[in-house]
Amino acid sequence: MKVKQSEYLKRVKPALVKLRDRLLSEFPYASLLAQDSTAKSYSVSKTSTGIGMDAMLTGRGFVAKVYDGTSYAEYSFNELSEDRVEEIVAAVKNGLIPMSDRLPEGVKKSCYAMLADDPLVFEDSTEYEIDPEEYGDEKIIGRLTKVSEAGRAFSDKVLDCHAFASYQKCSKLFLSKNRDMEQNVLWMCGGVDVMASRGEEVKDSYRGFSLLGGAELLDEIGENVGSVAQNALDLLSSEPIPPGEYECVCRPDVTGMIVHEAFGHGVEMDMFVKNRALAKQYVGKQVASELVNMHDGAAAAKEVASYFFDDEGIPAQDTLVIDHGILKAGISDAQSAMHLGTDPTGNGRRENYERKAYTRMTNTYFEAGSDKVEDMIASISYGFLLEEASSGMEDPKNWGIQCMVNIAREIRDGKLTGKIYSPIVLTGYVPDLLKSISMISDVSVLCGSGFCGKGYKEWVKVSDGGPYIKAKIRLG
Amino acid sequence: MIDRIFSALKTCGIEDYQITMTKEESAELFFIKKELDMQRRKNVTTANVSAYRVFEEDGVRFRGVASVSVQESQTQQEIEKLFSDAYYAAGFVKNRYYDLYAGTKEELVEVKSTLSEKTLSETVQGFSQALFAEDVHEEVFLNSAEVFARCCTTHIINSRGVDVSYRKNRVWGEFVVQCVDGQDVETYQDFAYDDWNTDALQEKVRGVMDLTRARAKAKTAPAAGEYRVILTGGYVKELMQYYVGRAESSMIYQKYSPFSAGCDVQGDGVLKDRVNLTMKAVVPFSGEGIPMKDRELVKDGKLMMIHGGNRFAQYLGIEPTGDFGGCKVPAGKVSLDELKAQPYLEVVNFSDFQMNDFTGHFGGEIRLGFLYDGEKVVPVTGGSVNGNIFEAQKTLVFSKEMQVEKNFEGPRAVVMERVLVAGV
Repeated sequence: MKVKQSEYLKRVKPALVKLRDRLLSEFPYASLLAQDSTAKSYSVSKTSTGIGMDAMLTGRGFVAKVYDGTSYAEYSFNELSEDRVEEIVAAVKNGLIPMSDRLPEGVKKSCYAMLADDPLVFEDSTEYEIDPEEYGDEKIIGRLTKVSEAGRAFSDKVLDCHAFASYQKCSKLFLSKNRDMEQNVLWMCGGVDVMASRGEEVKDSYRGFSLLGGAELLDEIGENVGSVAQNALDLLSSEPIPPGEYECVCRPDVTGMIVHEAFGHGVEMDMFVKNRALAKQYVGKQVASELVNMHDGAAAAKEVASYFFDDEGIPAQDTLVIDHGILKAGISDAQSAMHLGTDPTGNGRRENYERKAYTRMTNTYFEAGSDKVEDMIASISYGFLLEEASSGMEDPKNWGIQCMVNIAREIRDGKLTGKIYSPIVLTGYVPDLLKSISMISDVSVLCGSGFCGKGYKEWVKVSDGGPYIKAKIRLG
Repeated sequence: MIDRIFSALKTCGIEDYQITMTKEESAELFFIKKELDMQRRKNVTTANVSAYRVFEEDGVRFRGVASVSVQESQTQQEIEKLFSDAYYAAGFVKNRYYDLYAGTKEELVEVKSTLSEKTLSETVQGFSQALFAEDVHEEVFLNSAEVFARCCTTHIINSRGVDVSYRKNRVWGEFVVQCVDGQDVETYQDFAYDDWNTDALQEKVRGVMDLTRARAKAKTAPAAGEYRVILTGGYVKELMQYYVGRAESSMIYQKYSPFSAGCDVQGDGVLKDRVNLTMKAVVPFSGEGIPMKDRELVKDGKLMMIHGGNRFAQYLGIEPTGDFGGCKVPAGKVSLDELKAQPYLEVVNFSDFQMNDFTGHFGGEIRLGFLYDGEKVVPVTGGSVNGNIFEAQKTLVFSKEMQVEKNFEGPRAVVMERVLVAGV
């Protein structure tokens, strides 16, 4: 079934049209992005249950973007009626625009051309099997309670099992002089986190799940709680790894972290504008093994970061970032693309209507290859199978790697020995790692259970992943 | 809007509730090099309503809660539907019974700040001037910056008499300094001030420029091994967050943390400094309307209190303190010069420092460090610190010199012995 249109956006559209027209009478370009979103989060652990709307993802609000002939300015607000149109126009003209009258010495306003505004009119929605709103809080909490209980019952060494899920149903309307687009998107994600203790230390194992869809996701969470609990117990006997460079096989979640954190942030082209990304100098050059093909795009996969147009009214795309090891293209928001003289790629995204749009990743992944996972493990004389990506930080300027994984399973003579090391810090130079990729599996998995920040803020939903990859990686 | 919320609560028969209304205005400037790339303003009002429900199953009392967001644009019918659904959902939230926090009506608290004497535009402009005042060099310069000035009014009401509100101004943001002298490198830095402290921002920019110059000269990673590691700046605060996190009531009640009141937070075998830590209130009231004040958390390594919100405090039979936004650590007894008299690896910039409260693991990739082998100091970059607080806390030494960071006052540096570093 398709996600329904927002009744609120239908109701408020006449006021939006009036506001757009008034702004266009004052400015050569004006656009409005309207959002009506509901997001709920559920969690169950041994002593605590929670149901709540997610404040970051829930809300009705608007962004007016205007061009004064030189540069762009934005006004975010969340109360609109036809009576308030003049009040908002006055806030833009008298409060927003004069902010640039007193700039620091030596600083001037950027000079941009006017955004392209070719006619585009459409409305589309994503699909789902089970609407979480209709499925209801009672059933969702009931399912998560069973998962949490199953995790806790796995062993008396299990301290707790936290089962959680969340969804966002988000409708957006983009209006400019020539564009009138509406989209309705539903995603759901969730996971399970099992904690086990050894003295003062608490070890935990985590697995996330996601889909572009609804409550049908809950089946997947329940099916995997046992393996996550076993990992938590295994971690109790883990040790720190002896630092060194090893041959590694990365599970798709670790591949995803490398794709996203180590490389993806470096091809966000607002970083090209600022000269903050080394990748700018490598377009057309080899940055990875010939086996590697990398994509990003809201239209590149059906996952949590899929949509039909971005927050600047640019249609979603599938960008081939790396083609057989050669860096082909970056991804961009509309303003960065104008600055660089390139075409925008539909990657202008906001945390919500209250925030600025930046170039952001969407669904980012390596294409699957042809190798079997068991052959990849068998090819290693001494190395590790890396699982459970836990955190990562971008370094587009220098292509340094800062990623952490929870589990390194020892491989000796092509077989897993059962010994595990944790926690693991991946370091090194991104192209060295990507060029060392020698095998790529024929299975591919994307997941979007978390959020991506720009630095330490501006959280947006993304998915990443791909196949198992074999590479040489420095671990510590 | 508040009258509409009360009316809907009454219609839905919700007797236990909490309402949090927030009105936020901001002025924002975004710079790339010496150009203003974007200017923004924001004016939004939101309300969050928690509907509580008490119920019994098999003779056991529970208090469930579900929260919803409410906006002016919603019709009365939509608000009533939201509340009714939330109240129904609260019936499935089987949390052990507790009473809502009981409080009184208080006058609006204007949080004292020199920022409130200026308009948001003047504030964002003033701090932008300070930011660019040091941007006068060729080889080291501001690559990009974002400056936000915000005025936020928060009003918290609950069904047990809490009716408190406060207005607070803040300016915050981030900047990136680039240095092209030798290597082309950069340093990210954030900032936040509750007063018109433009001099502090200017000094911070100057410091980050110096640090970035040093990074441009760093070429090699330290060799893998164990080091006497010095952490400085905001990383001292991050390390202390381990004690703050483990002393939190929800962590203790759920047995995620073994801490208990009076326990020795550093464990056995402490060879050097004992930890002292005071929780710092950064707003007049917590999210539940609990009046906030500074409180001593750890004294000479002993846990003096368990901190946190109302629910878990009741479960543990302790006073709720509210959730704190900051902390203070007193000065140590040894000067930085003395700390640096022996060989060390001082890490002044990580790509992303992580402190895990559960496992005690801390570390991150080294963006810039200074390695002293007993003879000379060499700037280093690359490799990663991979330590564990359970061991490191036995050898902590805090510097005599202090720093004031975002929501933190404490020693400028802390030293730990025999910390594992994955290098070349």
